[in-house]
Amino acid sequence: MSLQDRETANVGAGLWKGTGMWAWILFRISGLVLAFYLFVHIGVISQGRASGAHTLNRIFTTFDKPLFVFLDLMLVAAVLYHALNGVRILLMDLGVGIRSHKTVFWVLMTIAAVLLGVFVTVAFPYIF
Amino acid sequence: MRPEAMARHQGGMWPWLMQRVTAVLVFVTMAIHLTATHLLNIGDLSYDNIAGRLAHSGMALVDFTLLAAVVFHALNGVRMVWLDYSLAGSGRRVVDVAFWIIGVGVFFYGAWALWPWITG
Repeated sequence: MSLQDRETANVGAGLWKGTGMWAWILFRISGLVLAFYLFVHIGVISQGRASGAHTLNRIFTTFDKPLFVFLDLMLVAAVLYHALNGVRILLMDLGVGIRSHKTVFWVLMTIAAVLLGVFVTVAFPYIF
Repeated sequence: MRPEAMARHQGGMWPWLMQRVTAVLVFVTMAIHLTATHLLNIGDLSYDNIAGRLAHSGMALVDFTLLAAVVFHALNGVRMVWLDYSLAGSGRRVVDVAFWIIGVGVFFYGAWALWPWITG
């Protein structure tokens, strides 16, 4: 694959500068982090059957700390960014809003920020 | 679909389409999953809490759909990153088969783990 092909291989990557580049880089990083977490999550929750209810509850007690609630909020932030930027990619593939793609991006990011605010508000008492 | 949108992806037409279909499925089921676990049941996480939630067939369906769709979406996503950094053609078929084996294995392991909660 040539350098030119590689640059245009993904949405946002065609603009190797500015907002589109950062949107693409963050999309990749959040995707890889979430893929890694998915397998950790399946491994942890499956202990309910693999090791029994008692062991799973003991694991949950270990996670019941402000640090883990905070890290969990970081995961929620990654999910919200990946989901809302994904909406933008689907819209672009369907040909919707291409002429105002930057506005579409920031409107979706505002929605992501508001939703994150809801999760932070609910989780706040468990961190402090 | 615009042809250039599909041509942009080197991973094949079906994985490209499936990535978007699973994206929509994950979007909907993840919203329900996170609302249930992080907004409605926050602070109550336990074996019995999960059992109570999955006793509703609707929630069991949501979590099963999420499991299948997100495992595909995550592994195909990792595959797309891998394709961007690998030389064309080099052992690609072998890697595709390996991704499928891992994905099917993880789905059935996850389904196995959820089963006692669903059947109660």
